[in-house]
Amino acid sequence: MIRCQSLVWGAPGQPLTTPLSLEFESASLTAVIGANGCGKSSLLKVIAGLQKPLAGKVEMAVPRQSGISFLPQQQHLDRQFPISLEELIAAGFWGRRLSTQLRTQRLKNALEDWHLSGLEQRPLMALSGGELQRALLARLSLADAPVLLLDEPHAALDELGQQLLWQHIHHWQAEGRTLVVVCHDLVAVRQHIPHTLLIRNGHCVYGTSRELIQPTPSMRVA
Amino acid sequence: MLITVSHFWQPFSEFVFMRRALLGGLVLACSTAPLGVFLILRRMSLIGDAVAHGILPGAALGFWFAGLSLPALTLGGLGAGLSMAGLAAWITRRTGLREDASLAAVYPISLASGVLILGMAGKRLDLLHLLFGSALAVDGPTLTGMLWVSALSLVAMAAIYKALLLDTLDPLFLRTVSRLGPLAHAVFLTLVVLNLVIGFQAIGALMVVGLMMLPAAASRFWSRRLPVLIAVAAVVGCLSVWLGLLLSFYYSLPSGPAIVLVAGVGYLLSVVFGPVHGLLHRPPLLTFQ
Repeated sequence: MIRCQSLVWGAPGQPLTTPLSLEFESASLTAVIGANGCGKSSLLKVIAGLQKPLAGKVEMAVPRQSGISFLPQQQHLDRQFPISLEELIAAGFWGRRLSTQLRTQRLKNALEDWHLSGLEQRPLMALSGGELQRALLARLSLADAPVLLLDEPHAALDELGQQLLWQHIHHWQAEGRTLVVVCHDLVAVRQHIPHTLLIRNGHCVYGTSRELIQPTPSMRVA
Repeated sequence: MLITVSHFWQPFSEFVFMRRALLGGLVLACSTAPLGVFLILRRMSLIGDAVAHGILPGAALGFWFAGLSLPALTLGGLGAGLSMAGLAAWITRRTGLREDASLAAVYPISLASGVLILGMAGKRLDLLHLLFGSALAVDGPTLTGMLWVSALSLVAMAAIYKALLLDTLDPLFLRTVSRLGPLAHAVFLTLVVLNLVIGFQAIGALMVVGLMMLPAAASRFWSRRLPVLIAVAAVVGCLSVWLGLLLSFYYSLPSGPAIVLVAGVGYLLSVVFGPVHGLLHRPPLLTFQ
């Protein structure tokens, strides 16, 4: 589904890793882990076509514009922006031709799925971090893309929110979507995500999560 | 002087130049309202200033070569305004100099070169006229130009509204679903320059920025919804034009500064009394954690 060929990424002249050649299979669920600044988020951006690779290329079995949904880290959103939660989520319909009736129905479902019913008219400013994160996930779910790239989707989510997130991630995979998830919670990765791409000391290692991550609950890749 | 209702209408019904100035100002206020609101949301409030200052050398050059002609002044201002904003953006993109710094560097250059060119061109065109305008000199062709620019702006803004909104809020998201982001940005910037250029002859290069930004800044204290913000900005802008023209008529004040000062009063009143984070509304909704 997503084939990275000798992919090198990072700032010009400063590649973050040795070339990566890896295929993310259709309907696979892969975690990307590693220390801060090792290039996890940049890798997602390169795959999403938001950033140019330094060398190599990414081949995709689906068109980028409609085939990929990207969940960025939420801190780049301006929390004072004068729109409501509902308007934010409805942006997920961008470029899709749906009847008004279908839109209303899907929007309602998404709100319910992510436990956001009743908050439709809240301005962004009045949302908690967890509510905003669930709203971004709801927007992502409306786009209905076959490839989902999630950058720290669990950030700001409480216990319940994380449960909800993992349920949806498994559900999306079961629907045949391809997921790549940047995640710092190694316990959750080991528990929920079968394959892992570990970026450490400028090298990429791919394997099953159980091999790559030790089962000690407090373990973090530093 | 006893103020009666007729004082608010009489100058406009009596004098053609007042009617023209009013109509031009009102349409300009309506078309600059959404532009100002989006400039603030995009954290580009300084762009307006950079463009307005950039207009000066262009208009001065136009005057030098073609005299006091509307197309020459407009084209000169348009070219120079766009290139000054473009130069600032280009420097930022190529060197990583912060955008506010590169804009702040551009306007003294523009202002100084504008004044120098005017000096070389002789004293026939009043510098103050160019800087602060004279709404009372809105002639037929200028008014037509203002009407066209306003109509074009409103239509174009309606067309790019959704893309511009998403590009402002979440450009990464928009880039993953559409290629319209850069286009919307370019159209938006062009509209800003067009409005400033057409407005500078009526209200003055440095004052027209006030008409664009003050109502937009004031509107932020009245609502949390974007369409309402734009509507409030338009109303504040229109009121400023109307009251400002009356002030300048009755007290023989220069009209550009009169209009902008009324808008300034509107802004300060909003800061104090506005229901959204206004000073009088406690506890402040915006808390720093």
